[in-house]
Parts: sequence; structure tokens; C-alpha cells
Amino acid sequence: MNDLLIAGGIGVAFGCALECAGLGDPPKLAGQFYLRDFTVLKVMLSAMLTTMLGAFWGGRLGMFDPGAFYVPDTYLLPQLLGGLVFGLGFVLSGLCPGTSCVALASGRIEGATTMLGLFAGVLLVGLTFPAIEPFYRSTPYGSLTLQRLAGLSYGDMVALVTVVAVSVLAWIAKREARP
Amino acid sequence: MKFVRRLGISALAFGLIAPFAGAPFRTQRRGLDLDSIARAIDEGTDHVSARQLAEWIRDRRPGLRVIDVRSPAEFRNDAVPTAENVPIDQLAKSQFAPGQTIVLYSQEGAHAGQAWVMLRSLGVTQAVFVPGGLADWREEVLYPLLPANASPAERAQIEALSHYFGGSPRIGAEQGSDVASAAQIGRGSRRRGC
Amino acid sequence: MRPLRSYAEPHLTGVCLGMVLLACFALTGQGLGASGAFASVASGVMVTVSPETAMHSAYFRSYLQDGSPWIAWIVVEIIGVLVGAATSAALAGRTRLPFVRATRPSAGKLFTGVAGGTLMGIGAALARGCTSGLALSGGAMLSVGAWIFMAALFLAGFLAAPLMRRLWP
Repeated sequence: MNDLLIAGGIGVAFGCALECAGLGDPPKLAGQFYLRDFTVLKVMLSAMLTTMLGAFWGGRLGMFDPGAFYVPDTYLLPQLLGGLVFGLGFVLSGLCPGTSCVALASGRIEGATTMLGLFAGVLLVGLTFPAIEPFYRSTPYGSLTLQRLAGLSYGDMVALVTVVAVSVLAWIAKREARP
Repeated sequence: MKFVRRLGISALAFGLIAPFAGAPFRTQRRGLDLDSIARAIDEGTDHVSARQLAEWIRDRRPGLRVIDVRSPAEFRNDAVPTAENVPIDQLAKSQFAPGQTIVLYSQEGAHAGQAWVMLRSLGVTQAVFVPGGLADWREEVLYPLLPANASPAERAQIEALSHYFGGSPRIGAEQGSDVASAAQIGRGSRRRGC
Repeated sequence: MRPLRSYAEPHLTGVCLGMVLLACFALTGQGLGASGAFASVASGVMVTVSPETAMHSAYFRSYLQDGSPWIAWIVVEIIGVLVGAATSAALAGRTRLPFVRATRPSAGKLFTGVAGGTLMGIGAALARGCTSGLALSGGAMLSVGAWIFMAALFLAGFLAAPLMRRLWP
């Protein structure tokens, strides 16, 4: 029960944050891919930096153990193909699974239609699963992290990602400051 | 925008100091704390009997994770109910949260014991192993020999446990029927999709 | 019509989001997600409508193994998202009335929305996650798969965008 209460609480905060940033509005999200509106990148990168740095330093200060945090498994080909297909769908609809819920919650019918599509897509994969299962399970690498791949330490990788992410955000800021 | 700028600079600062911060927490530390390992072995806190494991599974002990360290083929053939298959070479990469009780087992127990030491060296102190492995599981839990001099209450307990897991006790020299492999191989951890 | 409160500053909102995600990790050891909720509900529907088909597919089975798929952690989380977003929109005066002609998108637009959603459903199922669960949560934990997914996502998006200018005037 506790578990589910946490789930609900986290969800409410998540939905609130997404809506506040305007990520329930398809033209705004799609605008990212036309370099018109950088809200998507700004929110994603800021969030990722915060969590990554928070996890590292929280761990260093002994508040929790980031080594016990779940690292999604890597499946090279399915995730590569999945990402490509997902990106295509993203530009078509201007929403992603989480933000489609935000759109629906703010009364946008595009939210509902995208959610419908999501169900259809997932059902399709589920129904054809026996056929695609070999591909689905191909190229597994377990819970591979960037640092293990590069042979660096956790701290080194955090530094690297921070520099890259902040640089992208700085580039965006500069671009937007141009008249 | 000024505030955002300052945020960016502090993020950069925190990120750049990270490589010099040393290992976060204790998970990255590799090494053998020989004293604590020797103590655990001495005191017997490094292992549990198959019967104890059976009781934990039956009582749905919270945070219990049963790990089978054998190969996937052996795991598919027969395993302890609710066990997860993490072959020994993948054990080092696995994550274990502090509140969990991890019970390792293998065919006869030797590999599980070695896995226990391995995990200990990685700083995982919440694991134990089953010394007799799957063989003990069959002998003690599924097809236990009901000792002739045990009290009726004890015998009832052993029988109940055996039946719970789909086995049947042996009485005296009689062998139980030759059977059906272990029940469902479920998942012990709550891994949700994302 | 109530005046629209303008959107919050994206970097700050991102930081707040990042803290929510960190709290999620600290409390549950795992990140948050979204596409899994759709898969879970779909599995629930499947098992109600046709149990044999559901059991025949290992994909659906995986969502049916840990108790009811209707109250899976991620489903409850998504319900929270709906509630949080609805509240935020209502408080800011940003709630649209879905059946008002003027603000409703055209039928063609709605169709591409469904098509886009289907593609995302397929992509998320294959990748075992979406922008929230894989890219964001996995990315923060420096998972290689998450970064591959993210790179592919943005690549495809940027490449396809010029072909769809008409959708987004």
C-alpha cells in the first residue's frame, strides 16, 4: 500500500511539473524538432542533470546508495530501432506517453487520440510477440553503464555528462538570445 | 535568467568535482574484509538451511530474493520456487538493495558459497547461501525423511512444509514418487516495466 | 475566459522534476515511467478479453506476473500524473474545453496523432521504455541503452521533421 501511495504522489508531482512547463501542448513539443521551442531539451536536460548529480552526491554523502538504483538493461538493437520509431511517432503526434496524459488532463483531445495510438502500438507488439521475440531479446548487455563501457569511474562519467549537458543548454541560451 | 545561469554554473561545478570525490558510498569498493567474513563463517550467519529458506518463502518474508547461481539451462530444468536465475558471472553486475535478504543456492552448494564470498567482497552483506543447494532442498523440504523419533507436532510441521511445495515426505525407507519438477518459477523482485 | 498563467521557467521546472525523480529513486530504488502503464493496462484488457492469447505472448505475461495489472505501480503513477496535470492546468486556467470547435484540431491532425501514438507504442515496447522511464530515468543513471534510445529518438525526430512541416505550421 505504501508503495502505491508513493507511486501516486510521485505521479502527481510529475504531472504537475510537466504541465507547468507547458509540455501538454503538442505544438510546443513538436517545436523542439524545428528548433523553434527548446522547452523539451531544457526540461529533460535540467531534470537529468539534477537527478544524476543528486544521485552521485547523495551517495557520496551517505544519504543513499546509488549503486542500488535500477539501471535499465541495455538491448542494443531493439533500443536503437525502438528509439528511431519512437522519435518518428513523437514528431507525428507532438506528444510522448507521459505528456499525452498531461494533454488529456488539460482537456486536449489530442491527448486522448495519442493515448489510443499508444495502446494500439503496445497491443500490436504484444500480439505479434512470438514472432518478434528473438529480435526483442537480441543484443543484451545487461545493466551496462556509460562509465563501464568507457572504462571510466562513476565520477569521471558524471563530469563528462555534466559538461556536455551544460554546454548544450548554454548553446540553446545563446541561440535564443540572438535577436 | 540570472538565476538559471547560476544554476548552470553550480551544476558544472558539482559535475567537475565529481571525479575527485572518491567512490560514492561503498558499492564500488572491491576488497575482502577478511575479519568480518571469517566471523560470519564462524558464527554461521553466512548460511541458512534449505528448510529455513522454505519457511521464509512460505511466510512471504519481505525483501526476500532467492538467487539461483547456476546456468540458465539448469535453472529451466528445475529450481526453487520464486527463485531468480543470476548465473555466477552476472552476479557482480547485479544490484542489491540494503533491505533485502538474498539467499543464494546452487546444485550442491559449493558455487553458492563462492558466490557468497564474491558478494561479500563487493560489500553486499545481506546475503546468505544454502550449503546443500538444490540437493538439500529436495532432501529436506520436498521429500524429507520423517524421523521416527520426532514428536507428532514436528512431523506435522515437516509434512505441511513438504506438501506446501508440492512434495511428499518419505517414511522410513520408502521413496516418494519420482516427480514433477518444482512449481512455477516466478520472479522474486518487483521489476516494473518502464 | 480566465487569463492564461504563463508557463513556468523550463530549467527550474526541470530541476524540480529532477528532484521528484531523485526522490523516487531514493524511496523505491527505481525511476518513474509511462509507457509501462499502457502495456500493463493493455495486458489487463487482453487477459480479460482472451486469456489464451494473453498467455501465449510472453510480453503480456510479463505484465501479469506480479499481481493485478490494473493497479501496477506504474499505472497508479500515471493516474497520479493525470491528477497532477489536471490540477495544475485548472489552477492556471489552462484547461481546454475539448469540444469547442475553435480549439479542436482537424480530423487529419487527430489521425496523425493516433498514427504517431502507435509508432511510439511500438518503439517504447521494443526499447522497454519511453522518454520518462528510459531516457530520463535511465539517462540519469547513465544506462547505455537509455542514451542510445535518446540519441535515436532525437535523430529520427530531427530527420523526419522537415517532411512534416505541414503538420506544425
